[in-house]
Amino acid sequence: MATATAIDRLRDPSEKTLGVMLLAPAFLLLALIVVYPIGKLIWNSFFDLRLSGGSGIKFVGLENYALVFKDPDFWNAAKNTVLITLITVPGALVVGMGLAMLANLPFKRKWPVRLALLLPWALPLAFAGLIFAWFFHTEYGVVNDIVRRAVSPAEPAMWLLRPNWAFAAICLTIIWKTSSFMALILLAGLQMIPKSLYEAAEVDGASKWQQFWQITIPMLMPSIIVALIFRTITALQTFDIPYTMTKGGPGNSTETLAMLIHKTTIDYLDVGYGSTLAVCMFVLSLCVTAFYLKRIGKNA
Amino acid sequence: MMRRTYLTALTAAAALVVGLASATTAFAQQTTLRVFSGGANQRPDLMRKLFDQYQAKNPGVKIDIETGGATSELQRQYLSTVLNAKDSAIDIYMIDIVNPAQYFGAGWLEPLDSYIGKPADVLKPYLPVYSTSNVVDGKLAAMPAFADAMFMYYRKDLLDKHGVKEPKTWDELAAAATKIQKAEGNANLQGLSIQGAPIEGAVCTFLLPYWGQGKDFNDASGKMTLDKAAATKGLATWLSMVDQGVIKKNVAEVKTPDTVNEFKAGQVIFAINWGFAWDRFKDDKDSTVQGKVGVMPLPAMTGGKSATCVGGWQWAVSAFSKNKPAAANLVKFMSSPEASKFLAQEGSLLATYQSVYTDADVVKAVPWFKDAANVVIAGKSRPISKDYGQVSDVIRTTTSAVLARTKTPADGVSEIESRLARVMR
Repeated sequence: MATATAIDRLRDPSEKTLGVMLLAPAFLLLALIVVYPIGKLIWNSFFDLRLSGGSGIKFVGLENYALVFKDPDFWNAAKNTVLITLITVPGALVVGMGLAMLANLPFKRKWPVRLALLLPWALPLAFAGLIFAWFFHTEYGVVNDIVRRAVSPAEPAMWLLRPNWAFAAICLTIIWKTSSFMALILLAGLQMIPKSLYEAAEVDGASKWQQFWQITIPMLMPSIIVALIFRTITALQTFDIPYTMTKGGPGNSTETLAMLIHKTTIDYLDVGYGSTLAVCMFVLSLCVTAFYLKRIGKNA
Repeated sequence: MMRRTYLTALTAAAALVVGLASATTAFAQQTTLRVFSGGANQRPDLMRKLFDQYQAKNPGVKIDIETGGATSELQRQYLSTVLNAKDSAIDIYMIDIVNPAQYFGAGWLEPLDSYIGKPADVLKPYLPVYSTSNVVDGKLAAMPAFADAMFMYYRKDLLDKHGVKEPKTWDELAAAATKIQKAEGNANLQGLSIQGAPIEGAVCTFLLPYWGQGKDFNDASGKMTLDKAAATKGLATWLSMVDQGVIKKNVAEVKTPDTVNEFKAGQVIFAINWGFAWDRFKDDKDSTVQGKVGVMPLPAMTGGKSATCVGGWQWAVSAFSKNKPAAANLVKFMSSPEASKFLAQEGSLLATYQSVYTDADVVKAVPWFKDAANVVIAGKSRPISKDYGQVSDVIRTTTSAVLARTKTPADGVSEIESRLARVMR
């Protein structure tokens, strides 16, 4: 009797049961590929887990976290990561906005412009890094070649061997690589703005500049916020471009958090401390995302 | 009639059973070994030939080969991932000389004592450096595959032309290079090419002038014995050569292939590089220095003694292999004198046995082995540590930063000492 009712219930579920049943597969998948790894990461961060030590796994509580706060490498990498984010996110927004406006002009042929927009975005990050590393090479690089021909044939600059120049070169590469993604999202937003608004503004005698600030920017705000969130999170995870351009050098002056985590776990085989660093980076991303979400809440 | 049919059927059935049984035993004896055989520079093509020889002698064994990773660092990253996952798919690994300690320490390698023998007996006929780097905690962690070392290549023609003798010290080398550079009047001609980019080669760049003063980086137990004054002097030696124009200014950008390519293009007088470069200078179609190259022992610091950085590759059996005895047997063959001789003759891969360097067939095939022998025997191993990944990273990153002049030699050495004090004790 009891089984019969159970089967009946499955055959004709209440709205609540149906909801649970429909959500279950997605929830299980997410649990497996998101919740479990994050949980395992946090779990590992409480252990002395050095694969090379042979001393076995030891529970150390919050000791790894205490080490993080005293670790100058962590603060150096955190500083670099935040700086890269603060420079390249607005940088990509400004360049991306320009590109989007350009692509939105009434060209006869739209595809060359859009292709040019898509290309940097379609290129793998590591390729972009390797290509720009060649651009900035002291002897074989095109940058120094141009400087030599156009400015002065004096001593060539060693771009990637000077901490500040290397940092600037990396930021430039990231902006080049990521502004097309910004431009794509902004272009979609631009095309949603009704033409009538601009026509009305023109009738009222508004200048192009006023139109941009009073119509384009406010109407584009939702797209800008979305683009900023995505870009900021990926900027915090910056790895490929500095890794391929300078390997964090000279010294560790261009090392980012993601590179430090990679080095600690893969090269040093220190899984416990690497996990702790990764948790710290996770918290940082979480804070930034929360900040954005709160802002959106206000806007909405 | 009936009886005969019955008999035939019986015989046929018996034959079938015997046939099946033998097929089954053959199947049971067929072992497939999967071997990770390094990247192109480790010559998997020649290893394949040796594997074929082994298969011919051992019909029950089939050997599959896997390759990957162009550099030692890339291979280390790949193998760390595979071994950390306790993957049983690969039975044998070819690993760089710096890795047995780390991999054995992590419990990834099977001790070979019970299959091959006691380390002291087994490793006796090899070059001395391999008996230290392949024994971890008194156990046989790996067996030598082939050797490698940093050599000093030089332009024989230019030295002869300007009447310069092979320099014995770094000071003599700087003077010789300056003399030739001035006389040639070619602004693109470098005196000496070393690797200053933060790659594995930069570990040797740090160690060469340090060892050249008769100092050691670590004692037999792996404890760090860094002499800070000597290490500072070593790095300062490179920088003074940069100031003299002997080494080029962007040395911190130079990787192993850059040295090879620039030497091949005739832009370098003296070049430090691994053994594989010899064939590149001699055989490559785009080499402009064919027949003009000499090899000599590395210079010492004034009052010190010459020493070079030994490399080379080892065979190790995975602790997760399901065919350990068969794998150990293959490793024994691959590290035999016959295999070493074959690799020397066919690919001029440096031998791990001292005796092979004087073997008549080998000397006939690769005459420069006569010169190479002294260099390799005087060679030293990079620090042996279970945390070699970290040791290497700290030394190469700091050396590169010093050569880029973002740190002074003294600061760099202090940094190396403080960062490694924790792992090399």
